[in-house]
Amino acid sequence: MSLVSLVSLVLPVFVVVPIRSAAATGTIRGRVDLRRALSPSERRPNVSDLGAAGRRDVPDRLRSVVYLETAPRGAFEQTETGHAVLDQRNETFVPHVLAITTGTTVDFPNSDRIYHNVFSLSKTASFDLGRYAVGHSKSVRFDKSGIVRVFCEIHSHMSAFILVFSHPFFAMTDGDGRYRIDNVPPGNYAVIAWNEGVSSDPAPVTVPNGGVAEMDIALR
Amino acid sequence: MILKKATGVFAGAAAPHSARRARQAAGVCALVLSVGVSAHAQTLPSEPIVFGDGRVTLGGNVSLSVAPEDTGFFNYTDYEHSTLRMARLALMASVKAGDHLALLAEVRSENGEHPEPYGLYLRIRPWTNRAFDIQIGRVPPTFGAFARRAYEADNPLIGYPLAYQYLTSVRADALPANTDELIRMRGRGWLSNFSIGNPAPDRGVPLVSAFRWDTGVQVHAGTERIEATGSVTTGTISNPRFTDDNSGRQVAGRLVLRPVVGLIVGGSAARGPFVSQTALRAALGETSAGDFNQTAWGGDVEYSRGYYLLRFETVVSTWTLPAVGAPAGGLSLNAIATSTEGRYKVRPGLYAAARVDHLAFSDVDTTFGRESWEAPVTRVAVGGGYSIQRNLLLKLEYQYNTREGGRVQRLNLGAAQLVFWF
Repeated sequence: MSLVSLVSLVLPVFVVVPIRSAAATGTIRGRVDLRRALSPSERRPNVSDLGAAGRRDVPDRLRSVVYLETAPRGAFEQTETGHAVLDQRNETFVPHVLAITTGTTVDFPNSDRIYHNVFSLSKTASFDLGRYAVGHSKSVRFDKSGIVRVFCEIHSHMSAFILVFSHPFFAMTDGDGRYRIDNVPPGNYAVIAWNEGVSSDPAPVTVPNGGVAEMDIALR
Repeated sequence: MILKKATGVFAGAAAPHSARRARQAAGVCALVLSVGVSAHAQTLPSEPIVFGDGRVTLGGNVSLSVAPEDTGFFNYTDYEHSTLRMARLALMASVKAGDHLALLAEVRSENGEHPEPYGLYLRIRPWTNRAFDIQIGRVPPTFGAFARRAYEADNPLIGYPLAYQYLTSVRADALPANTDELIRMRGRGWLSNFSIGNPAPDRGVPLVSAFRWDTGVQVHAGTERIEATGSVTTGTISNPRFTDDNSGRQVAGRLVLRPVVGLIVGGSAARGPFVSQTALRAALGETSAGDFNQTAWGGDVEYSRGYYLLRFETVVSTWTLPAVGAPAGGLSLNAIATSTEGRYKVRPGLYAAARVDHLAFSDVDTTFGRESWEAPVTRVAVGGGYSIQRNLLLKLEYQYNTREGGRVQRLNLGAAQLVFWF
């Protein structure tokens, strides 16, 4: 999934932010440098199968999420909610990582002509959507912030992350690891990058009044 | 201006960096616990281990089952192993050599015994864009539905369906001299002995073995709606073998239809020489001749939707044995197994399951009258599972076993099982 389409999923949930500040907002941008090797995403050895498994898409695990560790006052007062989509396509969750704000409803359509069974046992959100066929969709509203690991009960190689934030100051990186967090009130913050369950140490950053703060982050 | 909240954006939840610290702490704990095992082990894996640029994938399955003693041997797979009292470690590996060739293996150790190769075969895919595979070696069973999903994480209960586990008195290497001798072993399949062939007491065979895989060549082709599999192997479905014992080959086939999503209908057939050459010679002398086969038919249906899953499977097996005093052509022993299983998810991570099983056997004429050659068995099992985490499952089961013969004819058993897989 391209960054544009990914952003189009997430954008509606954070465009309206009731920041109680008269100052012009700034931007934090930079690049996340993934310095750790991600092992290839493979199925469990299907020794008991009568033949090889069909081809599937490979999840894009290079995308990271960058977010502010602490947020401006007023950021938690957001009331507007939106929808996002986590598709099940070619035995892969698309996108592999979804970043949303609390109150967002995520739709889980099945685009494969086989059953899937989406579930999560995460403390942030525990759900099991059961088995449903192609063309059908079920939804879950996420009201609690945290990390939600999503799996398919039938296909153990299918997994995804949903990062639920209580404020809108986060961004997904693009294919080159670049990110951009807009509409940040001026001030001092700590920025964290996250990828596949691993997060960076908080990096201090100062957002100037109406300006841009550059922050590159290395993730080991 | 800045809201000083220690919990930050993941208020009330595990933040990513907190999660990392927690993982690091868990890693330290795991490291401490595993001192002496591996200096590099830090956490239990939750995904398959992949290396060699994705060419080598390792998976694993660890299970521990506990239950009171099964005095009726209803759940035994031989004299020493019960499915309800078992510690099992299984490691699965896939080694890919390009798009056309892969080596697959599974090694198992039960109750701390020497590991054995459960499966070891070469998978050849001649055309990468066609679902057509040839598998050569110790291959997964062609026949039936359950044998390939006998893994603890795939089996909603702890016990196995009777067709795949319950030991009849029939043996490939030992033969009854007559039907009177045969029925004396009713309900004693876990340790039967006959006067012809191998005189040592040993386990009989189930209708279909889920505990060993056969050796040979298997061909599989499929589309979205239909799958077909055929195989030629050394042993039979009840007595899979690595080395041949009778110079015969079993031919097996399976057809699977998926008319709609969620519905799977399967049919299987198998036929192959069952009796070992040694037992045949002992029964009929050097001029032994005749077809002493196991012939089996199977049908299975699975339907799932939403939170429930239903399965039905039946297996009909006939063993033809060269019993002395039997009519020319041998003694035909028939068995029919039926199994109905259901699972319902009660809530995320929690399910309830039940299975009703019955094994029936044909009658034979004896000096005491006409009687079934084995004792019919019925099992009703209820239970469920709770996922402590995605790949750590706790299962409970309660069984009601009845048998129309044998020393113990009625036995209720409770069991618990912990399963970890990656």
